[in-house]
Amino acid sequence: MRAWAPRVAERHRTVLITLSPILLILALIVILPPDGAERAHWLQFIGRFHPLTVHFPIALILLVPVLELAGKAKRFPYLRASSQFVLGLATIGATVAAFLGWCLARSGSYSGRLVTQHMWGGITLATLCWLCWILRSRTTEPNIARLYAVVLTLSVLVVSWTGYRGGQISQGEDHLTQYMPSILRHLIGLPDEAPSAQAAAGSFYAVQVQPILAERCVTCHGPAKQKSNLRLDSYGWLMRGGKHGAVVKAGNPQGSDLLRRVTLSPDQDDFMPKGKKQPLLPGQVKLIELWVGAGASGSLPVDAIKDLPAQGTVAAAAVEVKFPEIDPAALTKARESIAAAVEQLQNKFPNTLDYESRGSAGLVLNASLLGVKFGDGELAAFAPVAQYITLADLSRTAITDRSAPAIAAMKRLRVLRLAQTKVTDDTLKGLSGLDQLQSLNVFGTRVTPASLSAVEKFPRLEHFYAGQTAIPPGVSVPQGLKGKLVL
Amino acid sequence: MFSSDLKRVILQAQTRRHFLRSLGSGMGSLFLGTSLARYASGTDAAAAEKSSLSFARDSATPLSELPPEFPAKVRRVIYLHMAGAPSQLELYEYKPELKRLDGQDCPASFLAGKRFAFISGVPKLLGSQYPFQQHGQSGQWISDRLPHIAEHVDEICFIKSMRTDQFNHAPAQLLVHTGNPRLGYPSFGSWVLYGLGTQNQNLPGFIVLLSGGKSPDGGKQLWSSGFLPSVYQGVQCRSHGEPVLYLDNPPGVDRPLRRTVLDAIDEIDKQTYAEFGNPETVTRIAQYEMAFRMQIDATDAMDIGKEPESVRAKYGSKPGESSFANNCLVARRLAERGVRFIQLYHWGWDSHGSSANEALNIGFVDRCREVDQPTAALLSDLNERGLLEDTLVVWGGEFGRTPMRENRNGQEMKYVGRDHNPGAFTIWLAGGGVKSGLTYGQTDEMGYEIVKDPVDIRDLHASMLYMLGFDHHKLTYSFQGLEQKFTSVKPARVIGEILA
Repeated sequence: MRAWAPRVAERHRTVLITLSPILLILALIVILPPDGAERAHWLQFIGRFHPLTVHFPIALILLVPVLELAGKAKRFPYLRASSQFVLGLATIGATVAAFLGWCLARSGSYSGRLVTQHMWGGITLATLCWLCWILRSRTTEPNIARLYAVVLTLSVLVVSWTGYRGGQISQGEDHLTQYMPSILRHLIGLPDEAPSAQAAAGSFYAVQVQPILAERCVTCHGPAKQKSNLRLDSYGWLMRGGKHGAVVKAGNPQGSDLLRRVTLSPDQDDFMPKGKKQPLLPGQVKLIELWVGAGASGSLPVDAIKDLPAQGTVAAAAVEVKFPEIDPAALTKARESIAAAVEQLQNKFPNTLDYESRGSAGLVLNASLLGVKFGDGELAAFAPVAQYITLADLSRTAITDRSAPAIAAMKRLRVLRLAQTKVTDDTLKGLSGLDQLQSLNVFGTRVTPASLSAVEKFPRLEHFYAGQTAIPPGVSVPQGLKGKLVL
Repeated sequence: MFSSDLKRVILQAQTRRHFLRSLGSGMGSLFLGTSLARYASGTDAAAAEKSSLSFARDSATPLSELPPEFPAKVRRVIYLHMAGAPSQLELYEYKPELKRLDGQDCPASFLAGKRFAFISGVPKLLGSQYPFQQHGQSGQWISDRLPHIAEHVDEICFIKSMRTDQFNHAPAQLLVHTGNPRLGYPSFGSWVLYGLGTQNQNLPGFIVLLSGGKSPDGGKQLWSSGFLPSVYQGVQCRSHGEPVLYLDNPPGVDRPLRRTVLDAIDEIDKQTYAEFGNPETVTRIAQYEMAFRMQIDATDAMDIGKEPESVRAKYGSKPGESSFANNCLVARRLAERGVRFIQLYHWGWDSHGSSANEALNIGFVDRCREVDQPTAALLSDLNERGLLEDTLVVWGGEFGRTPMRENRNGQEMKYVGRDHNPGAFTIWLAGGGVKSGLTYGQTDEMGYEIVKDPVDIRDLHASMLYMLGFDHHKLTYSFQGLEQKFTSVKPARVIGEILA
């Protein structure tokens, strides 16, 4: 070998020139190795063509021994003549592919054992191709012909191995053996199911963790689908990890990809579960976190971790609000009997009467801004719609006890405000039929403690506002008004 | 006579260009009229009808009341904004673990991938500067800076897991008040006024009061009506002197003369509207008319001198000052008078520790004293008068503050302060519509990040609109081809858990 090398170099200056691109790439991967960081867009854009271009040199290299062997047969002697040219193409292809591979690895956040092996396989292959090409032109010498055969065989082996490693990077480490029939698996010494680790029955994993994964993850990461080549339907699969490596790092919840992804904000790309599915509940995340933190063991007893979070509490407390829909036909019907009267009153008393909502026939009467311009006479005008009034604010108006019957006719009244009016205990005593009343306001009136017994009888009353009245702060509150009287 | 003169002037002003332009747009509107009519008669119109409500009003009364979509617990809002973002860790967030680690280097995981306004290098953790105690039946932890508010914890719903995506004051305030960090969107008050109108036509339906000596960083945009007609914008009032500048008649002008002047202006404005159809002209007419009516009603509403001494003492208010206490008392008077939306801003909570006024141990103490008693007085006063049951009171800033002590340029600073933390802050709600005595959401042991039930600003907005009786999808306004809404385009969730 030492004998021919200088000679070749002397005779063919082009030989060294053709080697220089390969040396350049070698220098690149030594000086700027892939380090797992993501970089400039240009480099990555170019690098993304690596998977595309890489198939050409693979096919070409495999073609060379076919040409050489078939050319030995008497029927195709001309084929041998093509092999030199094909080798040249293969060398160029392998060199370009190696360069693009470096671009991709350097820019696209690749690193790790697989990538390193694939990278060195690629650069070795480019060199071997080049060597084959050089040797092929000198095969007239028997020694060189033998060397050529050896190097070519080596190239075929290296291309197979490198290609397999590349496949593992993009398709997952077991992309060839995943669906291998068990007979073949036995032959090549693989276990029946790839991962052999099992969780013990009744272990923390089996009781607490597996059900969460089964419920939330296995649809996409299970026997049917293995997104990113990850299965989470058994302890072994979980610990094996997926395309991006291990998803659980024993004892290190912060470093575990599984936990990182389920705790991201749902609008992030990496978030799991994907596709608008409900995030894992905080309690579920906490359980997995505790288990990973305790060593992610398949044999950890179920009672080994104390103070477990309650998984379901958050889900139970979450209240989804439904927006009521308005049924126009039903609404028209409900308002039918009062619509004309309401319109009349709205014209007569602007900004005083309206429906409580767009979908309701209940009415809100607010006369408080009309002040003393609104008295008993005016209130009487609302008699036709009295039964529909649910809130009546008559604060600061001129109404007196004479309005009590008009108010008592408002059977659906829930809120009644009589603050700073002339009403007295007599009004309150005359309202006994208002069984829907929840809030009664007599702030700043002359109401006395004598009214308390009447007020106590409103069955649904929640608040009785009686500040600045004749009811003193220290008054003895009847049982039925405890916690309701506001002074 | 007057109007025929005017018409002649207008005709003289018409040029060939005007004529050609009106010809062109006239043809265009003919085309649009027919094609849009066909479009509107199709299914799109039906869909639009279903997805949004009509807020059409008589152009003469753009502020008239409209019923909410469904029966509402809340009929008016009093929003107390603490401009500058108060430290939740000195007020509502009790974090003993942070206190234990006080003075230690901040762990690297807190800093990775985070942006800060001023923190650089490795800051020190900073425990709460004030002791905490549990209060009320609900056992809420409150610091000793808010002794008066602490008495009301059982009426309050704390959301401790608020988060925002803005870490500078102006955009963060815009996000809180307009649902968008950029300029040009209607504020919460404007949306509510647009949706519900206001009862008292003699006062603005949306009133803004400022205190603390400075306007909030977001400026007047915070109460702007954005793309809604400007009649819905907030009206900034002063808490002493004339409530609105130049509201009083100048010397020599009496009320009848003012009326005559306004009538003449209205006449011109109405003609302008008839010709150009610009809704802003209607706003102008309405504003003139309201100003005329306000001359009496606003002056009366703002006059806290009319309150008895005992009430003023409860708030700690002194007439004539421009203070948060006075504004709280005015807020209660406005609520009584049927004002729909009352917005208070109190400036000065940006406790970076860069000066005495911005120090947690100096300026912050003053801010707490300025707002604690008035806020509590407002709650109890509203409750006493039976107003709290249909008023929503909101208290909060635009983001939170860091559990790390601020170290501008990596140096230890003379005063104690904290940097901005958009990742977690506390807002509280009280009154109708919310569960009282409740704490929603949770942050980690440092009060740094949310660990449970995060609430985005838009979720809070959707929830508040729900309390006011609206599905936030349906309170919309057509602008730039979109049915614009307060919660903007990202999906928002009504927090059912906090609703009463």
